Amino acid sequence: MRIRTLIICFIVLVVTVLIGYKLGDTYLTGRTPVQPIEFSHVIHAGDNGIPCQYCHIYAERSRHSGVPNVRKCMGCHNVIKTDSPEIKKLKKYWDDKEPIPWVKVHNLPDHVVYPHKRHIKAGLQCTECHGDVASMPRVSRVSSLKMGWCLSCHMEKKVENGRDCWTCHI
Amino acid sequence: MSKKTKYIDPADRKTIPERIKDQLAAYRVPGYYEKFDYHWTMVIDLDRCNGCGSCTTACYAENNLPVVGKSEVGIGRHMGWLRLERYVEGEYPDVKVRFLPVMCQHCDSAPCELGCPVYATYHNQDGLNVQVYNRCVGTYTCATYCPYDVRRFNWYTYKWDTPLEQQLSPEVTIREMGIMEKCSFCIQRIRGAKDTAKDDGRRRVKDGEVSPACGQSCPTGAISFGDLNDPKSRVSILAKSKRRYNLLGDLNTRPSVIYLRRVQEPLHASAGHETGMAAAHNTIAEHGSTADTAHAIKDTHGKKTQDGGH
Repeated sequence: MRIRTLIICFIVLVVTVLIGYKLGDTYLTGRTPVQPIEFSHVIHAGDNGIPCQYCHIYAERSRHSGVPNVRKCMGCHNVIKTDSPEIKKLKKYWDDKEPIPWVKVHNLPDHVVYPHKRHIKAGLQCTECHGDVASMPRVSRVSSLKMGWCLSCHMEKKVENGRDCWTCHI
Repeated sequence: MSKKTKYIDPADRKTIPERIKDQLAAYRVPGYYEKFDYHWTMVIDLDRCNGCGSCTTACYAENNLPVVGKSEVGIGRHMGWLRLERYVEGEYPDVKVRFLPVMCQHCDSAPCELGCPVYATYHNQDGLNVQVYNRCVGTYTCATYCPYDVRRFNWYTYKWDTPLEQQLSPEVTIREMGIMEKCSFCIQRIRGAKDTAKDDGRRRVKDGEVSPACGQSCPTGAISFGDLNDPKSRVSILAKSKRRYNLLGDLNTRPSVIYLRRVQEPLHASAGHETGMAAAHNTIAEHGSTADTAHAIKDTHGKKTQDGGH
């Protein structure tokens, strides 16, 4: 009888810890922030197969990949699925002439320079750092984005001056 | 966990001075930079410098330097990476002012690099002495060791008033309290130039393609910047000038900033006139730069009036 109670307690504890870990990992680490609009990459990049750089146009020619402006969204959503509640939110931002306050998922410190352009021109795929975004309903950060993680790739691919501090820090 | 170290017999073990000697022998010996693409060098022609101070202003604008105010400057905490030293000789009206722009000399054997306990300042392969802000813990050692007094310490985290923060450069980190900083030879521009070169499919940056903010803003073109590894670059040609000297050269820090001595008559024409003129003419004979020619014209003119007087 006593052992059974103990086992039940143990199982409850494990389940609670697991659920708590999952919830904390999702909502407290900032790895998967809740966005102002439930934009789904699954629908856009996954089902409809829109290439990443159709919206994130600066990735190929700038340090930043860039978040598309509201005009870009409205370019399609003027006609597509206008009665959906999420698109109505978008329409409101468009009518108020305000930018959408997206929460940055891949946020690097200010003293780190990560030029998207150089990495894309070197033939890196977006998924190598960002994970398979096309299958994420809500974008989550899969890589640690820590210096060791950057350096491991730089050393593996034998990047020229890839270990020099001022290649990334400024 | 523990790494196995190779056992060396105490008799064969080198003493610390010997080991330092060995390290110094391998430490950036002549020809060290030829292994790499660049050896960034700056040449400052003091004959062209008229002390306008636009280099200092440009540096402030380019590198997000805070303006600290009168009281802080009074206790020597100004943040200018480039200072313009003034040397006044003689008394009015017989007065001459010389100017000397001093920034980080990017020494090959830099005293600051030896001092840093956390390797926040080190020498990179391009001949630049660089400061890694996120590694710096603010021990102030490097600034104490620097013979040129060019390192600046952030005593506070400076803020910019509302419209002014819009002019901050996104390419340069805004430093916080407790961080040492100094001239970086505008490394963000060097990085940009390398980026452009890569886009064009070139291996190297072309001569004259990159210039730091001070060099770009200098109205008389006194500051040249380039790659000393390239024998045809402007700095390589200027560095061969007989007017060249290094600041505090006797310290053997081997700076990457080369100064070209000013060609000037001595102040009191009576005693040292002949020798001074001879020296000036010698220099003119050696180099045919425009500045030197201007002096030549001035000198001949002076002689003519003297002759007329007699």
